[in-house]
Amino acid sequence: MLMQDVSSQPASSLPKDDDVGVMVRNVSKGFGPEGAKITVLDDVSFDIKKGEFVSVIGPSGCGKSTLLKLVAGLSKADAGQVEINGSPVKAAAEAKSIGLVPQSPALLPWRTVLDNVRLPLLINKGANKGRDLRDPEALLRSFGLGNAMHKFPGQLSGGMQQRVAIARAFVFDPAVMLMDEPFSALDEMNRDQQRMGLLEFWQSNRKSVMFVTHSVPEAIMLSDRIILMAAHPGRIAEIIPVDLPRPRQEAAYATDAFRDLEGYVRNSLKKVMREAHG
Amino acid sequence: MANTTPTDTKLDGSALRPLRDYKLVAMALSSLPTIVTFIAVAVLWQLVAYSNPYVIPTLDAIGNSLMSSPQMYWANLLVTAQEIAIGASMGIFAGFILAVIMCEFPLIERAVMPLMVVIMVTPVVAIAPALVVAFGFGMLPKYIVTGLVVFFPMLVNSLAGLKEADPRALDVLRTLHASRWEIFRDLRFPVSMPFFFAGLRIALPLSVVGAAVAEFVAAGQQAGLGSLLTIAAAQANLPVIWASIALLCLLGIVLIAALAIIRKRVLWWSDENAVGR
Repeated sequence: MLMQDVSSQPASSLPKDDDVGVMVRNVSKGFGPEGAKITVLDDVSFDIKKGEFVSVIGPSGCGKSTLLKLVAGLSKADAGQVEINGSPVKAAAEAKSIGLVPQSPALLPWRTVLDNVRLPLLINKGANKGRDLRDPEALLRSFGLGNAMHKFPGQLSGGMQQRVAIARAFVFDPAVMLMDEPFSALDEMNRDQQRMGLLEFWQSNRKSVMFVTHSVPEAIMLSDRIILMAAHPGRIAEIIPVDLPRPRQEAAYATDAFRDLEGYVRNSLKKVMREAHG
Repeated sequence: MANTTPTDTKLDGSALRPLRDYKLVAMALSSLPTIVTFIAVAVLWQLVAYSNPYVIPTLDAIGNSLMSSPQMYWANLLVTAQEIAIGASMGIFAGFILAVIMCEFPLIERAVMPLMVVIMVTPVVAIAPALVVAFGFGMLPKYIVTGLVVFFPMLVNSLAGLKEADPRALDVLRTLHASRWEIFRDLRFPVSMPFFFAGLRIALPLSVVGAAVAEFVAAGQQAGLGSLLTIAAAQANLPVIWASIALLCLLGIVLIAALAIIRKRVLWWSDENAVGR
């Protein structure tokens, strides 16, 4: 019954309305000198609604990290538009609308955990006006880091450091959250734990999330939709809705619906990869 | 406590001492090899000195020389120390500031760096007389020579450190639309500090060399250990020569020791982090 819902949306049919958090339209990007340019992203279009959790998955070389950088405003598209809450990325960055969780925690070792989380509040202060800033201490407590607050990052485990990095991205209440394989450096058990922690927090603090991952179960567990990308050149192969009920608990992994969907996504991924190699 | 030797474990069982005493003993034991080396060198020195009095003076002759005219040595030491303090500060400051400018404006780095390399490979010993001609026998050429010696290692190390910022941390700051100043203050500057201190470890001993060389060139006009040394050398006064050398050496040791203490205070996070990496 799930399979019927699965369909890819052509770019032209995407609506442009007020509840769009991230809008990516006909974006292309290449690297290299003129003439020998390698296309990394070819005409990519999608939306992430406000409060929607979207994962991006695909084989290496499909440009998912490049796509994330474009949405983060860290790199410029050759063609097409990226908008966040209706304004261009540059303006969104100036207004501190983008929260980034990089692949490694990238915490500052000379600052305590609390001071690391405070940092986004101290930077670009002009953009703090009229927004719902969080209390860093309360936020850390809700992340289960109450006891680690006055420690330094070097004294924390990798999983805890990554949680601090997520808290740092939530603290200034950005409209959009961008996560680039945030759990990829953790071991399996830790990953599971951090994933569920993030899910729990997000379920009570709905943001638009773009979550780049390599893991199919992770994408399904967290997302409302999964953007499946193909490589060479990077493009959207399929957008797969995840119709599992929320809030989701760990038990969801064991349901038939989850497994069916996992089978389907793996199959699609396989197709995409076969195409790339054949 | 890093160098505790296996022999320490023998003391572990003895009943009388609490942990603090044990640590003291362990520390004494760990510095034992150093002490033995120094004693051995001193004995060897004396043996050579007594049989060859025209090659090196005996240690007691050096000591006597120091004790017989402490004011004279102290005054000269102060002059050299002043040259180092002012000259090295100028060089450190200039090197770091230029590194910041080069880091922020890559065009300037490309434009100026080759010139800096030319300055570096020019022997200071050769520049010093030219500076004396230009600026006279006063303190200024000595400051400049000392500063020049210090400048390049500080520039290169600071620049490497400023560029060492984690690109992911940079990404996080950029998505927050951090200003250049904020990125410098909160990321580049602290990240550069371990490199800055590594630069100081090279530069500070060099600053002693710089000050001494500057004094050699303009000897006789101003005080200073280097000047004293040249005058004593002209008179073949071995005890004074070696007393001056010993004091120059002492200056270097004091600088390095002070640096180690400051570094530990400022860069505790760096060492801790290095262990985890």
